[in-house]
Amino acid sequence: MNLIEKIKILSDSAKYDVSCSSSGSNRKNKKGGIGNAAPSGICHSWAPDGRCISLLKILFTNSCIYDCKYCVNRSSNDVPRASFTPDELVNLTINFYRRNYIEGLFLSSAICISPDHTMELLLKSIKRLREEENFNGYIHVKAIPGANKTLIEETGKYVDRMSVNIELPSSQSLKLLAPQKTKESIIKPMGLIKSGIIQNQEEKHKFKSAPQFVPGGQSTQLIIGATKDNDLKILKLSESLYHSYNLKRVYYSAYIPVSSHPNLPTISGPPLLREHRLYQADWLLRFYGFNSSELLNEENPNFDELLDPKSGWAIRNIDKFPVEINKADYFTLLRVPGIGVKSAQRILQARKVTVLGFDDLKKLGIVLKRAKYFITCKGKYFPQRSIPTNPASIKDSLLLEDNIKVRENMEQLSFFTLFPGIMAVNENIARISGEL
Amino acid sequence: MLYYIYDGTFDGLLTAIYDAYYEKDSPEQIVPLNNFVDNFLIRRIYIQADAEKSRKVHDAIINKISKDAMTNIMYAYLSEHENAGIFILDYLRFGFKVGKIADSYLSDDRVYNIRRLVTKITREKQLLAGIIRFRLLQNNIYYAPIETQYNTACLLGDHFADRMADQVFVIHDVKRNYGVFYDKTKWFMSDIELNADVVFHEKELFYQELWKQYFESITIKDRINPKLQSNFMPKKYWKYLIEMK
Repeated sequence: MNLIEKIKILSDSAKYDVSCSSSGSNRKNKKGGIGNAAPSGICHSWAPDGRCISLLKILFTNSCIYDCKYCVNRSSNDVPRASFTPDELVNLTINFYRRNYIEGLFLSSAICISPDHTMELLLKSIKRLREEENFNGYIHVKAIPGANKTLIEETGKYVDRMSVNIELPSSQSLKLLAPQKTKESIIKPMGLIKSGIIQNQEEKHKFKSAPQFVPGGQSTQLIIGATKDNDLKILKLSESLYHSYNLKRVYYSAYIPVSSHPNLPTISGPPLLREHRLYQADWLLRFYGFNSSELLNEENPNFDELLDPKSGWAIRNIDKFPVEINKADYFTLLRVPGIGVKSAQRILQARKVTVLGFDDLKKLGIVLKRAKYFITCKGKYFPQRSIPTNPASIKDSLLLEDNIKVRENMEQLSFFTLFPGIMAVNENIARISGEL
Repeated sequence: MLYYIYDGTFDGLLTAIYDAYYEKDSPEQIVPLNNFVDNFLIRRIYIQADAEKSRKVHDAIINKISKDAMTNIMYAYLSEHENAGIFILDYLRFGFKVGKIADSYLSDDRVYNIRRLVTKITREKQLLAGIIRFRLLQNNIYYAPIETQYNTACLLGDHFADRMADQVFVIHDVKRNYGVFYDKTKWFMSDIELNADVVFHEKELFYQELWKQYFESITIKDRINPKLQSNFMPKKYWKYLIEMK
């Protein structure tokens, strides 16, 4: 099989992994070496689906011994199979890097022969890159669940980021769709990586020259919409992963039907809006000082698709508003819909020398579309006729300005999916009258 | 209407700032020679770039305002905006008045105008760090032609010299006819007069094919969203992108 075929098969199978981040590592180039990490990460291209391409995201092999129902590489699926040799993979990475196509490598794999065998293959390729090619660009590698502890720890010494994909947010879901995996087999490598990172930080504290261990931290991925798990359950899980396992990122991946199985739901398209809301909420957890129980609870376990989580929270907590821009502290500003981390910082900076009015806010780059219902400047509301102040009308105004498009989409979707019969009738009419 | 006309160099611009400070007659515009459109109402003073004056302005900015302010005016200059010269003069006058806190006046026009330009330059610089594509030539030089909106290629020398430390490369700003050259020890800028076709290394097209294949198969077809793609990567940058051909 030629290399072009292999790339086709092995990147095609890797594409459902969402993570493509190359951030968080400050690995420096060495003398005579190639590659240098950029702590903020760099996107090198954007695929037609709008996702950033930063790393060469690829599987070592897609021949798998497991048969997870949701996965495109499951052993029972009739798809072409391919494997790299470490040589091919190293050569490809270096040549892509030299042409500035990529920031580094994101290497994953199906489980070939055994978890240990697979982990060894990954480790071998990565060691080659670092030691023989003197490559110092970004490397993200999957820790294979079930692989030996020493293998995972050894791998951690060579990579910038490691991840274990949880995929399914509960034990019941795992049992249903991935019976060969258990919660324990996934959590164990995450624990190993976590303690490796902590130990390394202590060593670095003592000796500045201590070798790095996964400096870019670890991440994971959850599939959204393949099981019945609600947003609350997913967000709670993310929250505890951030707290107990010090994860850098949790990625969410809208389930895309890659197979049909009685245990899987039939859906018309990936739940992209739901995925988007979860990402927004995830940001609120990590950078805005929110916790999951403020955003969702047992009575309301799912996000309103029409309204972003922060606006939803603000409307439910309207007694905390309006906030005076010239007085509120940083974390209070962060809770205003429409004000993000950068905006809040700019407000604090500008406040040192000016008393801010609404015109000033615009020049600070703050979008007032959402914020105007929740703030005052110098004690006054935004100068607009009849600005609503009660929760119900604020919500209506927000939807009116923001979600008309969403509503149209929803109607299209729900209309056709709820009443497929009607669609067929409409189609018939259209065909008869020649409108199509 | 008084115009200061400088030679287009950064030294020339700083000299103009110096003169504007010490001459009574304040300019209404400060423009580079190649961008100057004459009309009979304009009085003009031609500024002779002067290394000593330029150095004095440079030192004064760093000592009395901040290092950031120096970066800001350099970026504003690289924006090639028609009002960049006068924006810089206004910004510096304000800066010399209020000192190092100047950049906190985010909503003051004198700061805002500069900040807007700086944001544009910073964005393009970051984008370029990602979307420059080197082609390996027969003579083992990695060559990347680009056409940018602002004059940002010159900001990328350190970035690429750090990571591509062991390869000879040229980043060629096709619009402005200059290049950033790196010879495995240091990088420098020089004019480029391209008088022959570039000849690819025998392996080059092979890797371009592999990259195009990768680009295609990494796309999730159920999520196609060309608008999102061109928001991140505007079409004006596609010309030299291997995967977009």
